[in-house]
Amino acid sequence: MAQFLLQMSWWVPCYGLIGAVLTLPWSTGIIRRTGPRPAAYFNLLMTVLAFLHGTVVFRSTWNQEPQQLLFHWLKVADLDLTFALDISAVSVGAMELVTVLSLLAQIFALGYMEKDWALARFFALMGFFEGTMGGLAISNSLLLTYALLEMLTLSTYLLVGFWYAQPLVVTAARDAFLTKRVGDILLLMGVVALATMSGSLNFPDIYKWAETAHLSPTTATLLGLALIAGPTGKCAQFPLHLWLDEAMEGPNPASILRNSVVVACGAYVLIKLQPILNLSPLVLATLVVIGSVTAIGASMVAIAQIDIKRALSHSTSAYLGLVFIAVGMEWTGFALLLLFAHAIAKALLFMSVGSVISTTTNQDLTEMGGLWSRMPATTTAFVVGSAGLVGLLPLGGFWALQLGVDDFGIQQPVLAGVLLSVNALTALNLTRVFRLVFLGQPQPKTKRAPEVGWLMAVPMVSLTIITLLVPLMMQRLSLLPTWEYINRTSVVLLVSSGLIGCGTGATIYLHKAWSRSMNLPWRFVQDLLGYDFYIDRIYRLSIVFAVNLVSRFSSWLDRYVVDGIVNFVGLASIFSGETLKYSVTGQTQFYALTILVSVGCLGMLMSWPFWGFHVLDYLRVSSG
Amino acid sequence: MYVVGNKYLFSVMLSTQFPWLTTILLLPLVAASVIPLIPDQHIKSIRWYAFGVGIADFALMVYTFWCKYDLQNSTLQLAESYPWVPQLGLNWSLAVDGLSMPLVLLTGLITSLAMLAAWNVTNKPRLFYVLMLAMYSAQIGVFAAQDMLLFFLMWELELVPVYLLISIWGGQNRRYAATKFILYTAAASIFILVGGFAMAFYGDTVTFDMASLGMKQYPKGFEMLVYAGLLIAFGVKLPIFPLHTWLPDAHSEASAPISMILAGVLLKMGGYALIRMNIEMLPNAHVYFAPVLVILGVVNIIYGALAAFAQTNLKRRLAYSSIAHMGFVLIGIASFTEIGIGGAVLQMVSHGLIAASLFFLSGVTYERTHTLIMEKMGGMAQQMPKVFALFTAGSMASLALPGMSGFVGELTIFLGITTSDAYNPTFKVVVVLLAAVGLILTPIYLLSMLRQVFYGVNNSGIVIEGYLGDAKPREMFIASCLLVPIIAIGFYPKVATQTYDVKTVAVATQVRNVLPTVVAQQGRSPLYSTVLIAPHLAPAESRSLLASK
Repeated sequence: MAQFLLQMSWWVPCYGLIGAVLTLPWSTGIIRRTGPRPAAYFNLLMTVLAFLHGTVVFRSTWNQEPQQLLFHWLKVADLDLTFALDISAVSVGAMELVTVLSLLAQIFALGYMEKDWALARFFALMGFFEGTMGGLAISNSLLLTYALLEMLTLSTYLLVGFWYAQPLVVTAARDAFLTKRVGDILLLMGVVALATMSGSLNFPDIYKWAETAHLSPTTATLLGLALIAGPTGKCAQFPLHLWLDEAMEGPNPASILRNSVVVACGAYVLIKLQPILNLSPLVLATLVVIGSVTAIGASMVAIAQIDIKRALSHSTSAYLGLVFIAVGMEWTGFALLLLFAHAIAKALLFMSVGSVISTTTNQDLTEMGGLWSRMPATTTAFVVGSAGLVGLLPLGGFWALQLGVDDFGIQQPVLAGVLLSVNALTALNLTRVFRLVFLGQPQPKTKRAPEVGWLMAVPMVSLTIITLLVPLMMQRLSLLPTWEYINRTSVVLLVSSGLIGCGTGATIYLHKAWSRSMNLPWRFVQDLLGYDFYIDRIYRLSIVFAVNLVSRFSSWLDRYVVDGIVNFVGLASIFSGETLKYSVTGQTQFYALTILVSVGCLGMLMSWPFWGFHVLDYLRVSSG
Repeated sequence: MYVVGNKYLFSVMLSTQFPWLTTILLLPLVAASVIPLIPDQHIKSIRWYAFGVGIADFALMVYTFWCKYDLQNSTLQLAESYPWVPQLGLNWSLAVDGLSMPLVLLTGLITSLAMLAAWNVTNKPRLFYVLMLAMYSAQIGVFAAQDMLLFFLMWELELVPVYLLISIWGGQNRRYAATKFILYTAAASIFILVGGFAMAFYGDTVTFDMASLGMKQYPKGFEMLVYAGLLIAFGVKLPIFPLHTWLPDAHSEASAPISMILAGVLLKMGGYALIRMNIEMLPNAHVYFAPVLVILGVVNIIYGALAAFAQTNLKRRLAYSSIAHMGFVLIGIASFTEIGIGGAVLQMVSHGLIAASLFFLSGVTYERTHTLIMEKMGGMAQQMPKVFALFTAGSMASLALPGMSGFVGELTIFLGITTSDAYNPTFKVVVVLLAAVGLILTPIYLLSMLRQVFYGVNNSGIVIEGYLGDAKPREMFIASCLLVPIIAIGFYPKVATQTYDVKTVAVATQVRNVLPTVVAQQGRSPLYSTVLIAPHLAPAESRSLLASK
């Protein structure tokens, strides 16, 4: 039985898709009598099935050799594209993580989206989301990975655009799609180039090829840059980072997944591509630069946000930036560990934030306060999530970051500094958010704020427990260092950076009534951070403006020049016809002359080869 | 004058008992002649009749190709040849192979669906359906004709109904658009006639049979001249960059069902004929022209996409997007690889389905909003969520999302051009990068279209009549008939590729065999000596290039 389930492990991502298909009768409005709830139940059932199946597969792959499943997809002429699936402990584990988080997010959504009329459509999209990510986790073929990344782009677009009548959603969905698409298309170029160079698109074959490949530095760099563009867009890294912030306009249960596992999928692909990126040192350096810029920049921008979801989403970019640094420095172990810890903690944070938003129907930090006594479970979730993210208490984030500081400390002290400052800034930001939301005096919107119902509380509390158990899981997977191998210096540095962050966050002056400072230089800095360093305006003034201008120009060219010539020919023929009609005089001699001249010209033309030489000879003779 | 009938075709014809292709071709035309006699005060029975004929013919095609057609055979099949006007050497010879078969099926599907889409035509319905059915026959004729003169006749026969269909049932500016269309295509089709005659009368024998024309050896200058002429003729149809300006006018002024056929079938005639004649009959000239085709393809892609973004009219935007997508076909045709040429055919089929669905949906929207100006719409999703969902699906297919047919077509063309050993690597990199820019531009204009029409709040004052409301079952049916094959091809491309695979391999082999001899010739112009390189691999070796071990 277990062997059979292992063979059928490609079914696990399909469950989500089946769930999405099952919701169709409700989302298209064929079944109205029951309301949209049954669709959600079908989806949940499918996710539970996926989880159970995944668990069996995970147990049987544990300590086993990785297996490969192959599917022939396209066989045209000499082209044979196969889809390979990799069934190993890591990939199935990642798939399980996706399934568990998706299951919790879906239960959460049942409460959060309770009164939404399009619940069925939402669950269809969630099922699609889950299936795509599960597939991405076990995909072992670059082409399949690319295809799934694009599907992920699509489902992000649809989920962000879920409330399509809202004005901000309109641009948010489009920007999310376009930004990711730019990355994806560059990735596709890399895929096409790799297909030509290595002859196969399955990761094992590519790795084998990459070991012996001799590429010119330019080719290797171009290839690597194309390949990292996809994950850069997916993980919201500079310069393709703006979409994640805007995507927070979408429903919160989707944001839970987006900020935890969707961005992780992009990083996961990057980790899988790492052996190819090794071909070019420049690409690795680029990764480190992108990662560092995003990590520091996004952590700072997060501090100035007053939207509760945006404050957290920027920190997602920052953590993914650390993963980019890790891949650039070839520390994939650290990258995977950080992704794991971050995914769970961030999901919990977003659940807690979701409860706050659902209870207060408000996302503005300055209008909140004093929720701790009213919403104890939510408060606990926020605290535990923060602790799981930041390197201070010995939870997931601490161990992951500790490994990072340990790794970087000797080789690249600068990068260790980046890591520590991200930790400090994140701690500061989370403390700030905590103070604004949960401490202080209740405000009008937070006065009557009961704890959320069980549909939202159960997944939140479960995830709180899971977050607390993360170190235990890490220990079981023997990812934690033993006591004597712990680097004391790095632990001290990490804890002190966390303490500094928390301390600053706890002591800075936070005024609720006006969030902008009266002090002019300070206010400038605040605005600069609050508006993402004005990068979106820079884009609007440069790229967007240029594309608009060029497209208008080509449209003008088409209408007045290319088409103009055609219309001119038409006009000219009408005009000449109109003019020529006055030459109809009735004189026979005139007609005869016309015919004679024309025939003469034709004759000249037809016998040109004969005449031509003679005329030329004549000319030559006369001139010579 | 010594006129040769095709002995090969004649012998094949004897073996087949029933003239399947002739039946398929003539059924709509014969059925159309009955329409004026149908007693009908209302138009109900006429439209059911016309649609029934369309579906019956499509069913006949499916049956014929399913039972009588051998997918593993790259030669012409179901051939039949009868002398028609022996004095002229005109034979009624029809046959299909991997190139024409998928396109004949596409014609059947899209034309039938277009008739179903035209359910609400109340103005001169008899004439409308007669013209539709006549056009149906002519389109099949273009794809199935194996005689140059017959091909030309069919090509012209299809123009007249299109002209009338645009100029009678079109939008405000329909006369201008229709006249432009007919002048453009008719003027260009003269080149087909001239080229055909030139080839037919060249050498010792006079024949119009396409296969025999392909076997003749022409001198280089002659071949180049004929190629250029045919390129203009088919370039207008495809369309290729400077010859495209009839298309936005015709597509946007025609009513939605006609636009479906224009974009879904008529553009494919250009691509089909380019492969059938320019490559198969004039392979030597093709080697010279191929780099030009690639460049024109890239221009089409970028220029079409940019111009599409600047349009404010929904259908004009879709029309320009067609221009951009047909650029990929040009690149595929000129790639000298099996994958690339196969990709070109797949892209034609896929674009036929996608463009037809998008134009159909634009018609559905227009029926409700009575405007095509996108700025005047907005927030339509609230009133017609189904149309919104279908439009989103169509747009996703058009912007080459994996899992939809557009992706497979464009991916195979990309792979075709990158694996091509006929081009200089720098040239390939530039071409691929520029085409990728086009791929990035596609979502820009499509998503902004969705945003302007559907997202947001309806503050445009457009009121959708209650009896129209959201998409009706008939409209859902049409859209799903188009979307199901799109998704099927996207998930399992073999559905489509197996129909033409052996044929495109044969075409690619033929043109590759010519390549080394032409490239090795001295005295080429500088453009070609830098862009084209002699392939290092023999054709047989290249076959294992991408095969998995």
